[in-house]
Amino acid sequence: MNRPMVGRRAQGCAHGERPCSARGGFVLALVVFMLFAISVAGMTGYLVVSSEFELSKHSGQGAEALAVARAGLERFTAEQYGVVDDTVAYALGNGVATVTTRKLFARDSITDMYYIRSEATVDDIFTPGAPARRVVGGYAIHHRRPLAHHAVVMVGADNVEVRGGGEAHGWDYKTVADCPGGGASQITGVITRLSVTESATDDIEGSPEYELWSGGWAEIVDSVGLRWDVLSDPNFAVDYENTLPSFASLPADSFPLIRYTGWVNANFTGRGVLIVDGVFDPGSSFVWDGIVLAKEVDDIIQGDLDGILIAGFEGPNTYSTVDFRTDVNYHSCYVYRANETLAYLELLPNTIFEVN
Amino acid sequence: MVLSSVVILLVSHSFLVQNRFYATQTIRTSVQDNARAATELMGREVRTAMEGGVVVAAAGTLTIRSPLALSVVCNRDGIGSADVYTEGGESDLDTDEIAGIAHRDPVAGTWTAVNASWSTLNGTSGDPAGECAINGADTLDVAGAFHRIANLNTLFSPVPAEGDVVMLFRETTFAIQTSELDPSTLGIFRAAYGDSLVEFATGVDTTAQFQYRTVGGTYVDVVTGAALAQIDALRLVADARKPAPTGGVDDITFGWSVNVPLRVVR
Repeated sequence: MNRPMVGRRAQGCAHGERPCSARGGFVLALVVFMLFAISVAGMTGYLVVSSEFELSKHSGQGAEALAVARAGLERFTAEQYGVVDDTVAYALGNGVATVTTRKLFARDSITDMYYIRSEATVDDIFTPGAPARRVVGGYAIHHRRPLAHHAVVMVGADNVEVRGGGEAHGWDYKTVADCPGGGASQITGVITRLSVTESATDDIEGSPEYELWSGGWAEIVDSVGLRWDVLSDPNFAVDYENTLPSFASLPADSFPLIRYTGWVNANFTGRGVLIVDGVFDPGSSFVWDGIVLAKEVDDIIQGDLDGILIAGFEGPNTYSTVDFRTDVNYHSCYVYRANETLAYLELLPNTIFEVN
Repeated sequence: MVLSSVVILLVSHSFLVQNRFYATQTIRTSVQDNARAATELMGREVRTAMEGGVVVAAAGTLTIRSPLALSVVCNRDGIGSADVYTEGGESDLDTDEIAGIAHRDPVAGTWTAVNASWSTLNGTSGDPAGECAINGADTLDVAGAFHRIANLNTLFSPVPAEGDVVMLFRETTFAIQTSELDPSTLGIFRAAYGDSLVEFATGVDTTAQFQYRTVGGTYVDVVTGAALAQIDALRLVADARKPAPTGGVDDITFGWSVNVPLRVVR
């Protein structure tokens, strides 16, 4: 006698038969649930990680914006000479610093106080409309005409011998009517370290005719009020480097900043501030209106200068005695204009702050 | 049946473990968030501390002064009033936060700070912009940004002169003490000058503290007296702790500290 089959297969689920509703789909539901749970966990993990990433990225961009703002402020102050610019923008790193200035106080006739503001933005390509933004401010003194008029000739040599047609006149060849700054007080004729001699009594004139500064070149550097280290730095951009402009194409009141390096055998005509980071060796054809600043001078110098000559910024002059055959006459108008070209900003320590 | 039971047990166990893992992970995340957010908020303020701006430097308490606005005195009026320019003018100043004014020594470059409220400093008379313009200030489009500061003669001797730089500053105190929200842990509190401490971070571990570095030195817990002016960096140790989601397991902790160099107005 055949016995009836028992169990699930007996209820109609033959081996290999699919689908089989009698099994209930328990494992499938479980697997789906686990997949869902894993998906939720994955999403949660992703959100946590992406949030952390976004936070750190934005924090980093904010910090970078602050660094860019400060860099912009420092760069602006360091690179400024002459008239203070109203607005300058620099691309720095991944950001842009926009520097603006405002004059707040005229301290005296040659120094002003300025507020310098630097606003930096660092863009995120995913949120271009909302860049990281930081602002810093600081205060600076603007030295409008920084060169101190101690003498018409200052040389960091031991001895200066004025002869061969040379002269150094410290009285002003210009009058008040000629220009702003005209009719200036008489200044010293020659300053050097140990001795000054002249062929004729009128070769050197001034009040006094000459002074001996025992400190030599170091005393000169300390007293003239200029930043020779900046002016002679190749990274400090000047108007013209190792070349002269076409003065005819420049406005008559333009006194550019011109820098030469090395041994400069000068036989040219011009005006402005002539910086010689080397040996200044003017020939008989040298004619200049303005200011000449030289690291040192040759043992024999010639030419004509209507303005001021200062030589000896980095050490004693190689030639201890200078045979001075140059005509240097104090023309306050040229010195005034050239001196404005040397104007610079000096950031006041302890005044840089983040604008809230 | 046996196989099904095994599967159910495995799945249940797996679910419970996962559940506990997620709970722990969530707490761990919140603990990290807590520590990081607290140091971020503190760091943002501490980073702006002025030169000589650390007033109290203890392990559990930190008081700093930071600049709200710096300005040049562009005009003096009478014996105690000075006209200054601040970016945006008074409307951009959070005057409630002003805790005092500092004067920069024009020769040494150092700051002398005195506490004073805005109601004391606020000068309401005169024409600051006009007076400053006479002294060479460019007031074009920003006349409203010039303001008169009063009562300087009662705060400084000598009174800041024309051309000197002055600073309006805020003074903030941070403290690590027993949390008011959860007394079983510590909290980090903040107070503006003259205000009461307000808790802004809870769940801080007992190892949390402030540390200070003087120039070229190592970090220490307390700095006092003249050495306060030598502090050039702070360390915010904001270790966080929370109980685990299930019993018999150690608390979840997160060790976190941030070093903040002080570089502003110096």
